Amino acid sequence: MSGGSRAHLRRHAAPMAAFLLVYAVLTAFVENSYYQLIMTVVPVWAVMGLAWNLLSGYSGLVSFGHAAFFGLGAYFVALTQIHWGLPPWFSIPLAGVLGALAGLLVGIPTFRLRGHYFALAMLAYPLALLYVFEWLGYQELALPMRRDAPLRYMQFDDHRLYAWLALGLMGGAMMLTGLVERARFGMSLLAIKQDEAAAEAAGIDTLAWKLKAITLSGAMAATIGGFYAVVLLIVTPPAVFGMLVSAQALIVAMFGGVGTLWGPVIGAVVLVPLSELLHAKLGNFIPGIQGVVYGIAIVAVILVAPEGVFWKVRDLSLRRRAPRALPDSVAPVRAEAEPSTRHSVHDRVPIFEVGNAPVFEVRNVSKAFGGLRAVQDVSLTVTRGEILGIIGPNGAGKTTLFNLLNGFIRPDQGQILLEGHSIVGSKPYRICAAGVGRTFQVVRPFRRMSVLDNALVGAYVHAASHRQARAAAQAALAQVGLSREMHLAAGGLSNKQLRLLELARALAGRPKVLLLDETLAGLSARDIEEVTSVVRRLAAQGVTIVIIEHTMPAMVRLVHRFVVLDHGAVLAQGQPAEITRNPAVVDAYLGRRWRAEHA
Amino acid sequence: MAQFVESFLQALTAGLLTGAVYGLMCVGLSLIFGVMRVINFAQGDFMMLGMYVAFYAFGLLGGHLAFGAAMAPYLAALIAGPVIFLSGIAVHRLLISRVTGIRGSALESEGHYAQLILTLGIALVLQNGGLYAFGSAPVSIATPLSSSAWELGPLAGDSVSVFVNRGQTVAAAIALAAVLAFVALMSRSRLGKSLRAAADNPEAAIYMGIDVDRAHRLAFGFGVAITAIGGGLLASSYPFQPYVGLEYVIVMYAGVVLGGLGSVAGAFLGGLIIGLVQQLSTLFLPNQLQNTAIFVVFLAIVLLRPQGLFGTAARRT
Amino acid sequence: MLEVEGLCAGYGDLPVLDRVSLRVGAGELVAVVGPNGAGKTTLFKAISGIVPAQAGAVRFEGDDLLAVAPSARPHLGIAHVPEGRQVFPSLTVLENLEMGAYTAAGRRAWNDSLERIYAWFPVLAQRATAPAGALSGGQQQMLAIARGLASAPRLLMLDEPSMGLSPVTADEIFERIVAIHAQAAVTVLLVEQRVAEALHYADRGYVLEAGRAVLEGTRDQLAADDRIRQAYLGM
Repeated sequence: MSGGSRAHLRRHAAPMAAFLLVYAVLTAFVENSYYQLIMTVVPVWAVMGLAWNLLSGYSGLVSFGHAAFFGLGAYFVALTQIHWGLPPWFSIPLAGVLGALAGLLVGIPTFRLRGHYFALAMLAYPLALLYVFEWLGYQELALPMRRDAPLRYMQFDDHRLYAWLALGLMGGAMMLTGLVERARFGMSLLAIKQDEAAAEAAGIDTLAWKLKAITLSGAMAATIGGFYAVVLLIVTPPAVFGMLVSAQALIVAMFGGVGTLWGPVIGAVVLVPLSELLHAKLGNFIPGIQGVVYGIAIVAVILVAPEGVFWKVRDLSLRRRAPRALPDSVAPVRAEAEPSTRHSVHDRVPIFEVGNAPVFEVRNVSKAFGGLRAVQDVSLTVTRGEILGIIGPNGAGKTTLFNLLNGFIRPDQGQILLEGHSIVGSKPYRICAAGVGRTFQVVRPFRRMSVLDNALVGAYVHAASHRQARAAAQAALAQVGLSREMHLAAGGLSNKQLRLLELARALAGRPKVLLLDETLAGLSARDIEEVTSVVRRLAAQGVTIVIIEHTMPAMVRLVHRFVVLDHGAVLAQGQPAEITRNPAVVDAYLGRRWRAEHA
Repeated sequence: MAQFVESFLQALTAGLLTGAVYGLMCVGLSLIFGVMRVINFAQGDFMMLGMYVAFYAFGLLGGHLAFGAAMAPYLAALIAGPVIFLSGIAVHRLLISRVTGIRGSALESEGHYAQLILTLGIALVLQNGGLYAFGSAPVSIATPLSSSAWELGPLAGDSVSVFVNRGQTVAAAIALAAVLAFVALMSRSRLGKSLRAAADNPEAAIYMGIDVDRAHRLAFGFGVAITAIGGGLLASSYPFQPYVGLEYVIVMYAGVVLGGLGSVAGAFLGGLIIGLVQQLSTLFLPNQLQNTAIFVVFLAIVLLRPQGLFGTAARRT
Repeated sequence: MLEVEGLCAGYGDLPVLDRVSLRVGAGELVAVVGPNGAGKTTLFKAISGIVPAQAGAVRFEGDDLLAVAPSARPHLGIAHVPEGRQVFPSLTVLENLEMGAYTAAGRRAWNDSLERIYAWFPVLAQRATAPAGALSGGQQQMLAIARGLASAPRLLMLDEPSMGLSPVTADEIFERIVAIHAQAAVTVLLVEQRVAEALHYADRGYVLEAGRAVLEGTRDQLAADDRIRQAYLGM
């Protein structure tokens, strides 16, 4: 695993070790076998929650079907012991392999779906399996008792051993989650959760990461399912494939907090004993009482802390400890750090070598959505090292053009060449890897993640290791002047800083061309100067820039050349001076009336 | 051959009759999803409540022979509607409105998790509360109609005849009538139109002066009430217990997704198809695999046509 | 009629509007212009209550609008025609208009307003039973405006009615707006990126930049101001 995630794991290691140790010691003092069972099932459901969290918590694709993996694991362990006498020490890891395989098989077709459709499709897998197993005659499988070799078959007289084993599995699942969390893996999943399209544009092969996540998640769920079979000794389809198994996984995770390795653990530690004890104490007098109280507890926590206990507590404690992130005004760009910023703001930076080599060549490209011809027969060339401004009224097709350039959509007609090679039909993440970075109109940072981690997401595309990616992200932040804010939570940044952060995220992938979509929108005149000076500096360092913008005064001083779009077609192209005098452009922007009155 | 034709027609009839009731149940769920964009896991448990309301209402009505022993179960099912409507309104006002609607949209992207787990919590409370209140023994509503049938035929030269269960036929007819009444409400009344407007575009609905919170509450109330009536109708031909909702929430979601999330007519057809698949599968598969057949068809359709059989490609996510 | 004073508003912890003040007198046509992202749409949404106000006051005919629930504001006589049209796609054209007339005033005036709406936008009469989603962009814009008018409003707020429309269609829409303003005696607050058209027809105008109202004046004052030209063409 990569260096960064190991460092991250070290931060978690102390509380994790402390927690596991306390739990293990507590277990040692439990003598009642029923309580020993509770001490065992808490980590079992924690692992199930962690498995669910690994896929759904980080990637945002909610699965209602994790019972499929859990049940397969349980039945695999039971059946292999019954028929072949395979000891659980072997069959549980093998169940994990089976779960991984099942995850992959489920993921390949199901990841074509998004949102609610994905969630509901996942629901179908365990339920279909439930009936199949009933039909196969496995209504109730009992694991044979092996008095001859109890240890070999995990049939301990001392039930605390089960709890310790379960604890070990939980420790493993937490470590795995910790390793994934801050590595390229977890970052990619988070990026997918935030905005799948933007993640593709940042060079992330979203399908591959989602498949890896469901494979690992399925392996974890099947492993713990197999262990559960050994603990309970009896496997029935409703107990392992039922709705409640899937629900339990997501309940412990959501209750504790989604997208953190502590969430499912907190959820299991609180909820599982609660429900078990209620069942034991009151279940005989008031049937269903544990379910009612359990349900009420869930409802109450969701109303108070809709994002889960972990985040609520963390947000509260952060608010108490840290006064607030630095306000905008006390975080100026330090002149000595970026010597070129200050004095070159108003004069044009020497052009890096605007050669004749075309980076992008767009030839007769058209794209229609239904009846709307969004882009019509557009041809243009972007030359290396230049800053090209794309302007035009709202709805003129500017963003559609960007979507064509970075592969979000395929043109109906025409050719798009990147450095001479056609990119029509390539996936966005490949086009990103080929050197096209992009920002979006709507800035959507990961608000709880640090500025550095936000930039890191964009850095993986050209980095061989986490260390390299981190270096690239840091360099990108320095380029845009956000080094000082590196460790702040992105949620505390000002509007301008968010724009710079997005720029940094795109830069971290070392693009040859940067497509900037309304990077200056909504900024004050002072902020605009600062952001444009950064853009100019990037161009001076050799990054070709294509920028969509409405803020004309800034654009006129920023760009080398304009392409004016109107109604999907190129209305005019040329130097800023000619464009602002072009009657057709004046019409499109200010309207004919303006010219009539001011001519 | 005649044997097969007969079983086929028999299964087809049974499928259409149960399918019509499933269709009604799906319409209720689809209304909630369409207007609120919430996956309501408690839908099956409101249906269960509806079944018990019908059960107790039948107990009260059964004594008064003026109603006729034959029709009392259906009247009881209809009574479940308003009762569950009121409980739905209450649950929405007290709980669900706190994490959905305009307030919900202010939350971060994790907001939809909150709705989901909230309905799961409500489902747990209802199921287990039901266990306490109603006991775990399965009950059913006995009606002379459910054990009598009309014989169609003999058809095709004496060899084929189909038996049509009278109880199920009445239930299907009531379900169909309820769906038509609901469709009329949605397409004709100002209330129905305002619900559709809130479903289409909640923000614009507010600009029209439509109270979207109230629209959500009404949609939730109507949605669970409609499903409860469906449950009440089903109660006279199938025994049930407090956990019955779990089985049907899946059937309902399969139907709703088949029809295209959020489309009322689609949901009815989706439910009908689920009923047909369930019954027709018995011709080729062992009985236990009825539900597996549903899920396989469901998965196949979701994967091939995620917008649903009758939905259009455009969808809000 | 409408007074906005020192209004700050935005999403979460990101303020978009910074102490914006503006006034619209009864019968006026007031234009708000400014570059994309300046906060024009947010201003409208804050007036309608979709975006929460963090500070400041909004008064409509003397009443404190911020104390009124968002969905109750249209009932006071304000119609907001949102950016990007936002018609109800699955409802028919006529049903969209009926939803516009959801307010009590709208229902009272229904017959009259429908007649006038069909006179201003004959195409809507022709397509009354078509689902709104099947209309062209220009027709949808007409429907959106007509839907606003169906509530028989005293204040009509139009957010970028020309967005995404061809110049010919945009001109057509503008002419209707001017005609409606004159004939229906409705006060109009207009956000527009076609500055010249907007300012030509407006009685007064405001220029919004980066969430602040940086310039205000009558049509003639603004038309003579070079900053407008600069703001839009950078000359």
